[in-house]
Amino acid sequence: MPHAIVNSCECINGRHLLEQTVAACLDALDDGVVEKIDRRPYARTENLSALAVALQRMLQDWGRAKFVLVFDGIDGQREAPPTLLPALARFGETIPNLCIILITTLPVALMLRKPGTPHLHFSPYDRNSLLAILGLNPPKIFLTPPNEEQFPDYTPDLAAEDDAWLWNRFLAAVWDSLSKHTGRDLTSFRNTALRTWRPFVQPVVDGTFGTRDFSRLMVNRRHLFQLEDSVLDKIIAQPIANGTAVNGAPPTPSTKLIAMKKTIAHDLPYYTTHLLIAAYLASYNPSRTDTTYFMKHTDKRKNKRKVFQNGLSSKSKHRRIPRHLLTPSPFPLDRLLAIFRSLLEDHVPQVADLYTQIATLTSMRLLVRVGGVGSTDPLDAGSKWRVNFGWEWVRTLGRGVGIEVGEYLVGGVDG
Amino acid sequence: MEHQRCYIYEPQDTDERPAKRQRTSKTDSKGPQSERLATFRQLWHQQEKRIQASLDEVDKATQDQLVQFVSEAPTTSAACIPTGLVIAGPSIASHGPFFEHLGRRITDETDCTHVVLTGSESPNLKTLLKNLITKITSRTEEDDDLEIATTTRSGGPKLLNFDLAHVHRWQSKGRVKSIVVTIRDSEAFDSNVLVEMIDLFHSWLDRLPFVLLFGISTSAESFEDRLSGKSLRQLDGQKFDVTQSDEIVEKLFRATTASTEVQLQMGPNLMRRILDRQKDHVQNIQDYSDGIKYASMSHFFANHTSIFLQPDLSFRALDAHAFEAVRNLPSFRRRAEEMLDEGSTQEVRNMLDSDQFLFDLIIEEIRQGQQALHALNGAAVVLADIRRFLQMSPSVPLSSIWIRAASGELIGSPLLRETMLSIRKIPSNKLAQLLLALRGDSAITNYVDLTTYEDQLVELINSTDTTEPLRSQHDVRNESMRTTVVAQKVLLSKHKAALSEQDKAYSELIGNFHDNLERYFAEAFIDPRALFLSEILIYDLKSPHADAFQPRPRFAIERALASPQDYLGSESCGVDSDEGALSISQPATALVYQLYLESGPLINISDLWTAFSSMCGQEGNDGESKTMALFQRALAELKLLGLLKPTKKKTDHVAKMMWKGL
Repeated sequence: MPHAIVNSCECINGRHLLEQTVAACLDALDDGVVEKIDRRPYARTENLSALAVALQRMLQDWGRAKFVLVFDGIDGQREAPPTLLPALARFGETIPNLCIILITTLPVALMLRKPGTPHLHFSPYDRNSLLAILGLNPPKIFLTPPNEEQFPDYTPDLAAEDDAWLWNRFLAAVWDSLSKHTGRDLTSFRNTALRTWRPFVQPVVDGTFGTRDFSRLMVNRRHLFQLEDSVLDKIIAQPIANGTAVNGAPPTPSTKLIAMKKTIAHDLPYYTTHLLIAAYLASYNPSRTDTTYFMKHTDKRKNKRKVFQNGLSSKSKHRRIPRHLLTPSPFPLDRLLAIFRSLLEDHVPQVADLYTQIATLTSMRLLVRVGGVGSTDPLDAGSKWRVNFGWEWVRTLGRGVGIEVGEYLVGGVDG
Repeated sequence: MEHQRCYIYEPQDTDERPAKRQRTSKTDSKGPQSERLATFRQLWHQQEKRIQASLDEVDKATQDQLVQFVSEAPTTSAACIPTGLVIAGPSIASHGPFFEHLGRRITDETDCTHVVLTGSESPNLKTLLKNLITKITSRTEEDDDLEIATTTRSGGPKLLNFDLAHVHRWQSKGRVKSIVVTIRDSEAFDSNVLVEMIDLFHSWLDRLPFVLLFGISTSAESFEDRLSGKSLRQLDGQKFDVTQSDEIVEKLFRATTASTEVQLQMGPNLMRRILDRQKDHVQNIQDYSDGIKYASMSHFFANHTSIFLQPDLSFRALDAHAFEAVRNLPSFRRRAEEMLDEGSTQEVRNMLDSDQFLFDLIIEEIRQGQQALHALNGAAVVLADIRRFLQMSPSVPLSSIWIRAASGELIGSPLLRETMLSIRKIPSNKLAQLLLALRGDSAITNYVDLTTYEDQLVELINSTDTTEPLRSQHDVRNESMRTTVVAQKVLLSKHKAALSEQDKAYSELIGNFHDNLERYFAEAFIDPRALFLSEILIYDLKSPHADAFQPRPRFAIERALASPQDYLGSESCGVDSDEGALSISQPATALVYQLYLESGPLINISDLWTAFSSMCGQEGNDGESKTMALFQRALAELKLLGLLKPTKKKTDHVAKMMWKGL
């Protein structure tokens, strides 16, 4: 069956899609034919009508059976003209021998504006089919086969059987504990299972358990099924923590905090850190409280608030969302500089380096200029700014320079 | 005059001299200046080579890893795009050279092509692709361009200029193993553009072997947070850390300022400023080397005597001004006075009268001075190395040790004393390692004969039969505390354990080594500013450097408005000695600004006008309108400076935008 496939994912805009379609059709029609089509009339395809004309011209002299044109992922086309789908749906009426297949992720029956379009629904796989599909290709337990002299009767066939047996049981366990609740599609399930597999079979490789000790393995490696690490998608494949296997307890918040500290790879300069803390405070504190928190002439210690203890906050009648969970509010630049100066004990000269740093932080997208009337002018003092980082990060940042940011934050922070 | 369209300028014919006096004498010829320029270029060339060498060495490890990653990346049929996350740190300005260098190495050492994309040239996907295609395909030779032209001539559907099929066609000739695309500043890219780009590359991955490198200035986690889960699944990567910039600065410092080959020494105050700025504000290697370059330039530009730093200087190349300048140096006067006190009047007379005599003296003294400075640098490096080797607890970087040494503060300081004390305590196995480690330092080997100590130590160790390291008498393990109760009072006394023969010999050895080292330090750590001709050898001026590298624009504007007499001179602003007092003779803008400073965030214009007109209102018919004109102009100027803004919050009010001193 002669056919052409156009992948919408590779088309940058609607025009590109049309050009690609014509090129793909020409290639498909030329395929296996001695007499090549004269391509000159098809040099430009600006719009849908041009595409219709081009297809008509291509197919009118072409006496053979149906020509199939497949659009893959057409609902995700970038900058598609609004009439694209209805027009494509009606191409079959005007052009003989043409059959168009649209592959979409969502049902588009209404958008086609054409009743009676036959469609085929691929339902998502259920548990049994997923397990059956993934169970076909079990990964190996032993990356390097065990010593032949030591285990002479452990043949490759036996190993493959063990792999399949353990993998299938393992898959069912992963599905029931993790993937059922997080990602039910084939890709996520496979990724999760593959990520967990190596740490799961580690005791077998070490020789602690036999290959068929599934229940003991489950108990020993239960932390793998309690954490969310294997479900999250990461660019860098991180080895899942093995250290917790000793006591079996999931990592405490404190160990997580240590791990988080390591992620700030490069230390920021002293004043830059203070600028960021000041920006955070300016974003999350209402400006009317600034006199309470940052005035120099009152005793500073009185203004610092005790960090809220768990349970104390639940006494209040109105349950409020803590400020640090809300979106940051914009602030003018002078407020940032004023808070910056009040955070520092000693005098900072008004050098241009401060502004350079603000510009640097802006290009790092840690500070963001908020859109508004005058925001195109970089020198306008009235423009507003906003921070673009979270509470956890600024807290570690503050502890690095000896400032407990929670003490300056209105409303305090739980925990 | 308003009806006239044009005006004819008729200058008055006067025979008077112009107000600005012409220079009549030819004092400053270009000759010596251009020679100083040549000297500067020569010296800076060496310095630059040192800087480049140490920078290359610093980045080498990371770049090796990256090149290896790129060359080992799977080419086709991979499910994910191989991705390198390069955590390049917050000094954005150094990303450019890093990736440029990396790109050169990738194209040289592997069979890959390398393209850098920046955020400013990629506002959307289409522009990004256009740039990418131009950059990739323009790497071909000329005959290839002809080929491309012939393929497109056939008249079929033309490819749009953002179609990756261009790259595919280019690649189909089997040019490269993989296409490395570097996103230099990933933070500056719009997240949507990144996501779409990754999606597109991924779908082309079966035909085009892409490898992505992302330059990240914050952290890999915050980069991952910006991408969608789908994009994350399409990438598979590794993390690469670039050396922290304070370590790089430390290495550069060792290579440039504390080097024993440097001709022009930077002074401690200047270096402290440069280093503090690195620590507090920017972390930028380029700025550091620019600072040093600027300092050398200033020295050779403004200091006439700097010509004596030129190597192979001949007497005839100099003019009399150079010698005159030397005779006016403070250190020359100091030297002359000292010599007069000693009674060697003839030599002083010679120094003052004979240029030839002075020339020989200067050349000799500069050689000696440079030797002394090099010895100082070497000793600072040795001290820092010893401290690092012994892992002494406040780890003081070389830069701060050097700064203290160059200010002449190190002799007798607790830092040095503490180090010397811990040297007396080290056991023999560590001493052997220390001697071995110090052998590389030419500065100390010239003075302290390390090999004798090594020989003695080896001999001593061979004569002992235990494998335990020898300990000196100062080692804490040879001491024990004793408590005795006498008359209901507790007395603590230290008690030394009896030493073995070998330990005694070892104590003697280490005592000798300690004394030798102490003499060495005492001799090397001089106060360089007391050197004769230190003005030629050392550059330590603050003012041009601070103005060039740390300007204070906002402070300057605020000062000009708040106290205009600082800039305009006291005559035009009234002779008030009282600082900050308002005077009518000040410019109207400055007056309004000072009233502005006294008001709150919203300013009533009517009140401001009342205050202004009561201060400098003029008498007469059109007095008020003149005052009003002045007032209006002042307000307009403040608005232009961004200090004021009209507001809708309250009628007849303006909003105050900037506060003084921020």
